[in-house]
Amino acid sequence: MNEVLLSKDVLVYLFSESLLFILLFIAFLVSVKVYFKWDFNSFTPSQFKLEQESYLVTTIAYFIFIMKFFLILYFAFTVDKLSILVAGAMCGAGVIQANSYGDYLLILKLSILFGLTLWFYLNKYDLESKNYQWFKEKSVLFIFLFLFILAELYLDFSYFINIDTHQPVSCCSSLFGQLEGANPLPFGLNIVTLLTLFYLLFIVVVLTLLLNQTYLYILSNLLFLYIAYYALVYFFGTYIYQLPTHKCPFCMLQKEYYYVGYALWFSLFIGSFIGINGAISSIWLKEESSLRGRKTALLLLSFFLFLCSAYVLVYYFRNGVLL
Amino acid sequence: MLNNSFFYFLTLQLYKEKSKHIAVVLLSLVVIFLLSSVLFISSSLRYSLFETLEAQPDFVVTKLKAGEPSTTPIDWADELLEIYGISKVTPRVHGRYFFKSKDKSFLVVGVDFLEEQSHKGIESLISGTDIKSFLSGDNMIVGEGVKKFLEKNYYRNSYQFLTPKGVFKKVNIVSTLTDKSNLLANDMMIMPQALAQEILGYGQDEVTDIAFNVVNPDEWQNINDKVLELHYDLRIVSKDEIKKLYQNLYNYKGGLFLSLFIVLLLTFSLILYQRYNMIYSTERRNIGLLRAVGWSINDILKLKFLETISLVLISFILGVTLAYIYTFIFDAPLLKEIFLGAENLENSVAFRPVVEMGVLSSIFFIYAIPFIASVLIPVWRVAITDAKEAML
Amino acid sequence: MIKINSLYKKFNRSVVLKDINLHIKLGETVVLKGVSGSGKTTLLSLIGGLDRPTQGSLLIDGEPIHKLPDNFASKLRASKIGMVFQHFNLLEHLSVAENVMIPLIPTGLKVDKIQDRVNSVLKLTHIAHKKDTLASRLSGGEKQRTAIARALVAEPQIILCDEPTANLDKANSLLFIETLQRLHQQGKTMVIATHDPLFDNLPFSSRVIPMVDGEIVDE
Repeated sequence: MNEVLLSKDVLVYLFSESLLFILLFIAFLVSVKVYFKWDFNSFTPSQFKLEQESYLVTTIAYFIFIMKFFLILYFAFTVDKLSILVAGAMCGAGVIQANSYGDYLLILKLSILFGLTLWFYLNKYDLESKNYQWFKEKSVLFIFLFLFILAELYLDFSYFINIDTHQPVSCCSSLFGQLEGANPLPFGLNIVTLLTLFYLLFIVVVLTLLLNQTYLYILSNLLFLYIAYYALVYFFGTYIYQLPTHKCPFCMLQKEYYYVGYALWFSLFIGSFIGINGAISSIWLKEESSLRGRKTALLLLSFFLFLCSAYVLVYYFRNGVLL
Repeated sequence: MLNNSFFYFLTLQLYKEKSKHIAVVLLSLVVIFLLSSVLFISSSLRYSLFETLEAQPDFVVTKLKAGEPSTTPIDWADELLEIYGISKVTPRVHGRYFFKSKDKSFLVVGVDFLEEQSHKGIESLISGTDIKSFLSGDNMIVGEGVKKFLEKNYYRNSYQFLTPKGVFKKVNIVSTLTDKSNLLANDMMIMPQALAQEILGYGQDEVTDIAFNVVNPDEWQNINDKVLELHYDLRIVSKDEIKKLYQNLYNYKGGLFLSLFIVLLLTFSLILYQRYNMIYSTERRNIGLLRAVGWSINDILKLKFLETISLVLISFILGVTLAYIYTFIFDAPLLKEIFLGAENLENSVAFRPVVEMGVLSSIFFIYAIPFIASVLIPVWRVAITDAKEAML
Repeated sequence: MIKINSLYKKFNRSVVLKDINLHIKLGETVVLKGVSGSGKTTLLSLIGGLDRPTQGSLLIDGEPIHKLPDNFASKLRASKIGMVFQHFNLLEHLSVAENVMIPLIPTGLKVDKIQDRVNSVLKLTHIAHKKDTLASRLSGGEKQRTAIARALVAEPQIILCDEPTANLDKANSLLFIETLQRLHQQGKTMVIATHDPLFDNLPFSSRVIPMVDGEIVDE
């Protein structure tokens, strides 16, 4: 345990998370107070003071939420670095498995990012309305996010403290590799059908986004996210590693692959989150969906697709065959 | 963006009010410079060390006597060769020779020049030598630190070793190792194995240890166990274990440093908080004016945040650049002593420039987050200034 | 254009404005006359959206400025109202041109467009020749003209002036009134709070509204 905690990256990471949490806690306290006393139609001096205090909450929230996006990348980086210390781990995949907290922590982090993107939309619509129309919804979401981030902090510490460097973990080849007979792909698909679905879904996503078909878009993007994960790990990844048996979502984060993993996972997840939450808030709040949000989502997802496909194409042109 | 009025106004404000921010920037510079220099030195050393380690053989086998490493019989090499999966078995002779009157020591390394080295580092060091002429007499290659030390003691082209048998052995210095970034080379004396055996007092069929490589990493555990079974007094050490050990050592030292540094940072944050509270309270009238002519709270927040981030970036870039120049161009005078210490022989190491994304990110996070966090509340306080303050 | 109904303003315990009712039409020029303490400055700051009333309603071009969230109130102020303050309130460390461009910065206009607008308004107020002079180095009259330029740069419909001639000599005061006349001819709605007798009989002002102790006294 000590070796892990004294690792420079882990220290910086935990310190950052703790500091941000302290700020968030202050915002939480103010937010609760403002929530209970808020009465937009009263126009008393105390109401205006509340309006000013809600700006404090918004300011802190913006700062922390933006930092969270950077910190999840730093988390991935730290976990990867730890693979030297943990027996049997060659990349982050093994380290995450070092104890039971790892998987939950990762999923929690992604959920938090999802919630944050939604909060950004809510805040935007709230400030654009003449009477702080979405104040209550925004505040409730903020309080939920606070609780999630509290849980995240607890899991952060628990995870790092409980990494036993002497306990060997599985390497990605046994975690993601072809287990005898079992097909790791969902719905019993094979690679060809997976890829067809991948590209088809992308077209559907683009169309529904451009035509502003919100329900269809949410469905198609969720499916695309799911399929894209498998496509990246079980197909495109092998072209990044140039080894048909190397299947791993974490190894591509390493320096020898030019850190391309960060670009890929970031564009896929954040692109999807921005798009899906834009659609959700548009439906929920009955507001017009943000053009800028849709454009950003489209850009990120297209970049993801392009980058994945590029690896395959470049390999094919260089070698004349596919893996 | 260059045409953007916000940025225009921002640069205007920063420039015209630079005296307000100079103190903070200077303080930040010191903090970042210190942190970056230490981290640069540490990662450079680690990189060099790991590079050296990488070149080491996968496994090293020694005989134990009373639990301590002892002279290893050269026959064990043949036994090792019989195990399937083992390659490049190299019996090694090496040890410390003490320069009695000065209480300093040299690292004597015996090399079988005709065989392939299992230690890739040694291989690169001796690659430039003319083997025939080298083996024609009693010759050695020495490291820079050794050369300097011997010259100080009036040994210019050769040295008289006193062997354990009580006999003096004169050995000529053929060339000097000039790879400054190789930490180990400094104290080294490389000579033919037979000569090393004589000087260190080994018999002809005795060696210090036996090194070997195993090509397939999956077989390491397997072979480890097989080798252990050969003799009860055999000890085997793997490269992996050493790597872990060093990593832990670095982490330990680095972690201690960082923990102390964090305390410094918290003080820094407090100072920032106080200072900006003060600065901003003098700005209230001006901010009130901005509000009065139509700037919203959001606009003021945006301006102040951009101001803060600009300061963070400027300090960061300047601080890191200065640290880079200090560490990798001037070889970190003063700090270097703290890291390397003048333990044995004088070390004139040049730090190999190693700049890792991880190090830069760590520096950025550990600096930017406390900075912005401490400025946040003062920024908010000034942004909500009532417009009517302009009337006062 | 400006509709004020039953406006009250309290500071701590004292009532500074009592039951103000005032309707100002588009293009009208109105003078609020009264000694210091009469509440005219407070009323002006309420109209300008710099402060909020304790009670009553205040509509600027149909919008209840006191009830709007900060974003909207600021935008309204920026686009529809220009204020000239008694003490000019310039940023001393900036030049004339830089001071004048301030209201336009949050609007998102590009820098070159902003500079065009600034130049044209500086010409209008006869201060273009001092464009790059630091505000701290200007004379009273020049500061006044800079303040007017700043109030006009966003091309607002309403201009509010608080004791505009209090720190000027006679010559500059007359020049100022000339500027006001030109603005009136352009159709601006203007409210001037002052106790300077020069404003008692302006040819272009439609009304002089006397104020005593926070109340409008019948003319």
